[in-house]
Amino acid sequence: MASAAKRLDTVPGTPAPQIAFDGATLVLGGKTIIENLSLGVQPGEFLCIVGASGCGKTTALRLAAGLYQPTSGRVNFDGQPMRAPRREIAIVFQDYGKALLPWRTAAGNVSLALEAAGMPSAERPARIEELLRTVGLPGHAGKYPSEMSGGMQQRLQIARCLAQEPKTLLMDEPFGALDAMTRQGLQDEVLSLMAASGATVIFVTHDLDEAIYLGDRVIGLLPHPGRIGIELAVNLPRPRDQLSTREHPEFLRLRRQLFDFIKATEQ
Amino acid sequence: MNRAAILWRVASFAVAASFVGLWQLIANLKLVSPVFLPGPDRAWAALVRGFSSGDLWSKLAGTLEHMAYGWLLASIAGIAIGAIIGSSRTMRTYVAPSLEFLRPLPVSAIIPVAIAMLGLTQAMALFVISFGAIWPIMLATIHGFAAVEPRLYEVARSLQMSRLAVIFKIALPSASPDILAGMRLSLTVALILSVVCEILAGLDGLGHWVLLSARAFRSADLFAGVILLGVTGYVTSVAMSLAEHKLLAWQAAQR
Repeated sequence: MASAAKRLDTVPGTPAPQIAFDGATLVLGGKTIIENLSLGVQPGEFLCIVGASGCGKTTALRLAAGLYQPTSGRVNFDGQPMRAPRREIAIVFQDYGKALLPWRTAAGNVSLALEAAGMPSAERPARIEELLRTVGLPGHAGKYPSEMSGGMQQRLQIARCLAQEPKTLLMDEPFGALDAMTRQGLQDEVLSLMAASGATVIFVTHDLDEAIYLGDRVIGLLPHPGRIGIELAVNLPRPRDQLSTREHPEFLRLRRQLFDFIKATEQ
Repeated sequence: MNRAAILWRVASFAVAASFVGLWQLIANLKLVSPVFLPGPDRAWAALVRGFSSGDLWSKLAGTLEHMAYGWLLASIAGIAIGAIIGSSRTMRTYVAPSLEFLRPLPVSAIIPVAIAMLGLTQAMALFVISFGAIWPIMLATIHGFAAVEPRLYEVARSLQMSRLAVIFKIALPSASPDILAGMRLSLTVALILSVVCEILAGLDGLGHWVLLSARAFRSADLFAGVILLGVTGYVTSVAMSLAEHKLLAWQAAQR
């Protein structure tokens, strides 16, 4: 504990990280998936993690979620070790179809998070309506997930995560299964939602453009075992714009750097 | 209903009516002795007579009572035990072989055991009926609980849901299609065993009525009892299907 506290104080002027990997190593079934990962995520930061498939991106996210415990090293949240998942950390899964309750309507799915938080039933309907409106699903409260498109289902999952009032949002390739237009729309919505809530985001993706477009910082992982290979600060103006941001010389420079990195890891 | 559906329904009724007609014909031509085979007219008259005298009402009530208590007990115990076994991999590994031995055991074989231990009593009937009816429910519940999407358990963990909330809000609804299908199968088993118990133990019910009528060569009463048992099976199964349809409305949306 003392050494961890010391580490965090080494850079004066920076706030304490909300999520801190401290030499975290994860061994599953005799295979080292993540090795000696040290990484601090500041409150309100939007961090993107990219890497070739099988590099441990999703595993790193699951460590941050408390769904896995590191074999050695530490993962801290607000200075406390993560022993189990907690409500302040919401997870948006890629497979929204499996993460939603098919027997509950859109309203019922959002309600699940409110029930878990112990909100009295009288207060829930208004809050559910507000959340569904926030993610662009007003008027769909009575629909079952199976009656909604992929994009709508993912919005619904995001609404349920927002209902947790998370300090941190962990997103695991949330738009990977969606078509390009839907994906761009959701990217902008996530940016404005996060700007409004001030939550910290760790966003895993295999889409390098998406990572640069969204992030304050992009980390590229090297595979076998997963470790940090590249770290890029994204100094692009906010709010980001689908056309002008993607044409910005800095965007193109970062994109080039990241593509070269990924290409090198695949050889 | 569209035209085709109406036509099909009319056709199916026509088939049923022609079977009854054939039965009447065989009885009228005395192809089988009237002592053993009454026509539908005599069976119907026996039904009306039985109900107007009140005899059949009390027999029907007896059978329904045996069936309902046995089935309800089997449902409660089957879902509870199935949930415990199904939600733990270790339990499944340890208990599954014993279940595989007990499941194919003919329930009729345990009736003498039950009679020896409990006598010719209502308790014996309740035990036998629920023992026979528990298997489809329990096995379906085990399967349903084992097949819950693991992602949903992760969602529950991230929401820090209590164990009880996870069971009632995630596992049970997820397993409900399996459980209800098991309960529908058990309904038939419960009816069969109710009749068997009434016949063997002389308990008040349609099984006993059928047995006594056969022994006294009252074939019309015998057939009235058999018809009534058929109707009971049909009506309970339709009621169960309706309940399933209502409870699983979300599945209809899925298709």
